[in-house]
Amino acid sequence: MTSTIENNEVVVLKPEKKEPLGVFFWVCVGWLGVNLLAAIFANFLPIWGPQDSNNYVDLNTGPSFSHLLGTDDLGRDILSRIIYGARVSLGVSFGAMFLAFFIGGIFGMYAAYRRGKLDLILTSVSLVFLAFPSIIAVIAVLSFWTPRSILKITIVIAVTSIPLVYRVIRAATLSAATKDYVLAAKIQGATDRRIMTKELLPNILPTAVSFVMIGIASVIVVEGSLAFLGLSTNVTTPSWGNMINESRSVMQVNPWLVLFPSLAMCLLILSLNFIGDRIRSYYDVSEVKL
Amino acid sequence: MSNKKVLLEVRNLEVNFKKAGQVVSAVAGLNFDIYEGETLGLVGESGCGKSTTGRALMRIVEPTNGTIVLDGKELTSMKGRELRQERTKMQMIFQDPISSLNPRRRVKDIVAEPLDCWGSAEGDERDRIVFDLLNRVGIDPAIYGNRYARQFSGGQCQRISIARSLAMRPKMLICDEMVSALDVSIQAQILNLLEDLKEEYGLTLLFIAHDLAVVKNVSDRVAVMYLGKMCEIGPSDLMYDAPAHPYTKFLLSAALEANPDSIQDNEVLSGEPPSPLNPPSGCRFRTRCPFATELCASQEPLLTEVTPGHSVACHYPLTTVKA
Amino acid sequence: MSSSPILVVKNLTTTFITGRGRLPAVGGVSFELNADETLGIVGESGSGKTVLSRTIMGLQPRSNVELGGSVQLLGHEIVHASEDELRTIWGTEVSMVFQDPMTSLNPVMTIGKQISESLRVRLGMSKADAKVRAIDLLKLVGIPSAEERYDAYPTQLSGGMRQRVVIAIALSCSPQLLLADEPTTGLDVTIQAQILNLIEELKSKEKMAVILVTHDLGVVATRTDRIIVMYAGRIVEMGRTRDVFFNHRMPYTRALLESTPKVSNPSHTRLITIPGRPPDLYNLDGGCAFAPRCAYATDQCRQEAPSLQEANSDGHLFACWNPLPVGTSPLNQQNSNEPNGASNEQ
Repeated sequence: MTSTIENNEVVVLKPEKKEPLGVFFWVCVGWLGVNLLAAIFANFLPIWGPQDSNNYVDLNTGPSFSHLLGTDDLGRDILSRIIYGARVSLGVSFGAMFLAFFIGGIFGMYAAYRRGKLDLILTSVSLVFLAFPSIIAVIAVLSFWTPRSILKITIVIAVTSIPLVYRVIRAATLSAATKDYVLAAKIQGATDRRIMTKELLPNILPTAVSFVMIGIASVIVVEGSLAFLGLSTNVTTPSWGNMINESRSVMQVNPWLVLFPSLAMCLLILSLNFIGDRIRSYYDVSEVKL
Repeated sequence: MSNKKVLLEVRNLEVNFKKAGQVVSAVAGLNFDIYEGETLGLVGESGCGKSTTGRALMRIVEPTNGTIVLDGKELTSMKGRELRQERTKMQMIFQDPISSLNPRRRVKDIVAEPLDCWGSAEGDERDRIVFDLLNRVGIDPAIYGNRYARQFSGGQCQRISIARSLAMRPKMLICDEMVSALDVSIQAQILNLLEDLKEEYGLTLLFIAHDLAVVKNVSDRVAVMYLGKMCEIGPSDLMYDAPAHPYTKFLLSAALEANPDSIQDNEVLSGEPPSPLNPPSGCRFRTRCPFATELCASQEPLLTEVTPGHSVACHYPLTTVKA
Repeated sequence: MSSSPILVVKNLTTTFITGRGRLPAVGGVSFELNADETLGIVGESGSGKTVLSRTIMGLQPRSNVELGGSVQLLGHEIVHASEDELRTIWGTEVSMVFQDPMTSLNPVMTIGKQISESLRVRLGMSKADAKVRAIDLLKLVGIPSAEERYDAYPTQLSGGMRQRVVIAIALSCSPQLLLADEPTTGLDVTIQAQILNLIEELKSKEKMAVILVTHDLGVVATRTDRIIVMYAGRIVEMGRTRDVFFNHRMPYTRALLESTPKVSNPSHTRLITIPGRPPDLYNLDGGCAFAPRCAYATDQCRQEAPSLQEANSDGHLFACWNPLPVGTSPLNQQNSNEPNGASNEQ
């Protein structure tokens, strides 16, 4: 009876058709790492303090040995201010995105998995919020919620990002939740929680991570815009947006002052977008026919 | 038939879907029993409700009406943990082998999933069960256990699905078009494997498929569905030789035999099934049936026994004409 | 059979260049097709049957594909023909019906417009004439109330009706060759029978040749004059339909026949299976591609690929070092004796 028919089948595995992530991806990761480390350990770095005004001697110097990226109109070191400014930009953007994903992601996953009334309500609410330009909401709230702090800015940006995150995670979950393996898990007796963590989460994680990257990049821009409008942290705490804002008046005298914070912002956003994009395609398991 | 134990009893099963404000009756009152140890084949064309029936039995689709009794326990009124627990006695294998397995999980974890859900086996015991199951379905666990499901082809995925469905030692297996996505040579391997496992594990099967030859090959009895209703149910050899319902006869004559000498019936069923949104009155097959009369339009034929174990829902069953 | 061939395929190769290397999807295929013939091409997935039919149509993409050999269709060379040259052949000389009617129809255009458009572009008909002809075509392929359906969108039709529309479009410019690639695979049995009957009927009415590409031996058994059996991109057996079914010499043909469940066999008939699965085309060695799965394989089979040889003068060819004896087809045994397959337990 226990014949060994067709046993020990010669299995030819499909090759994992992964393209390597590429050198540029690692350069971007490296750049993100440098930014993060510099922001975290700014206090221990051998740099000037961000408020050290150098007795107002070296004003608007441009790059030099003692000030690698030059000084501003008050004689403060630009490199130092960019590094301390990264704290605000990165802190706000990482904080806001993780908060938004924690709330929006859980709701999005749950709604897409359970469908029904809850999904209908949440999705309608998210659509209403998405129809309203979130930057205006952010400006409105921050205008009245004073004194402004990094925490408050983070919360406001996080809250306004939730609807978008909800939509993205919901869509990603939806395509995974209609697969038969979800049904299979269900009929084996898996609880909803188990299905969401074991079956759905691994399949939406790549989408989520890549969206986090791109989300962080866009929050950096939002924070920069807020700072530019004078709605971010107060002037004594440097942020990239603040720096660009302040330097407007002396742009003709000292273009470095605009250039460097802009460049810092630009490079970081580019890195984040590229990292997000590569992660998504790298972990895409959709079959290539043939 | 009376000396056999009924494992699954289905009474008046109805499934309605709401679609754009209208009610689609996908399954409209099914009654049948499945006896312990047998294979019941369920055939019909797309849209006849055969897959919905299978899903309603598993309660992945909620039945609108009716009762499902599995091994003496009524499933339709169960909820929560009780339902999840009881449902493990019945397992299902799906049509799309690739989509049935989570591409991001390892084969051995997929097969162990039911065990992990219930904590019914842990450590070495768990590994041993998974090892045996994979071995049994012809996937070498030592080499492939740690691979991801996405690396396997359709036939292999279906083997892994079978292994997973057996982990909780179910009494019953519902196979929903489980070989229709596979190549002929792979299909034959899976069908043979299924027959062997049925013996070894003492399984009862509900085999849902559109391919009449495949269904006959594995089934003891066959049920034919048309537009949510059952037309005919009976022993497979008998029914294929002497179908009593005109629809069964047309289905069989349309089936293509891989033999140039097979009789090519020119009596091809014309037309297409009507919409389940608006099914015909009386007998649902009457709009395509060449033998339909006014009676067929006014009165719905009920499933009645023509010979022991062979029932047909037709006012003018064909066997009476033949006899 | 006396008419000259309309299609001559000589040593055709189609190789895809992919990230993994060279994929020889079609590896040296030669055959001819006569004007009034129905040819079946049978094979499992990966056998190259679909790639072959697309190459014959000239539908292979230009990049990452290497084509070799020749395809002569009514005097036109298809291999390496430019898109412009092909456009003069498509529709009027060769047409194709694909497996999935939904993707071969434009979902946002009415079916009537899709047919009349091709008539106006290809044949330069006036708008009114094209409409009349389009309705005639819809009637020809058996679409009820064709005048009303003229304005229907593809999504409003059932799968069977859609496939009829696709056939109507394929026939709109009276091609001499109709290539049908799995034309009934997604359809129900009763609809499948309708479509196959329709193709057969239209073939004699429109006097065209038909190539029926399928994985299902049942589809080709009674409706073709000749059959090609493909495995791993090559022809392993070719001949008149009866020869292939009753006198096949290649073990793969036998295995394919035996592993197909049959309605005429009693239930629980043990199927005779082919172990393993189709080969990985990237890693073909020099031997017969079927050898690893073949019960009759010898060292010669594993080292040297057999070429096609003649089984009879009627164009029956097979590629095998250890051919099966003539007349041992399971169908012969079935027809003469009691069904023999029942006790074929391994």
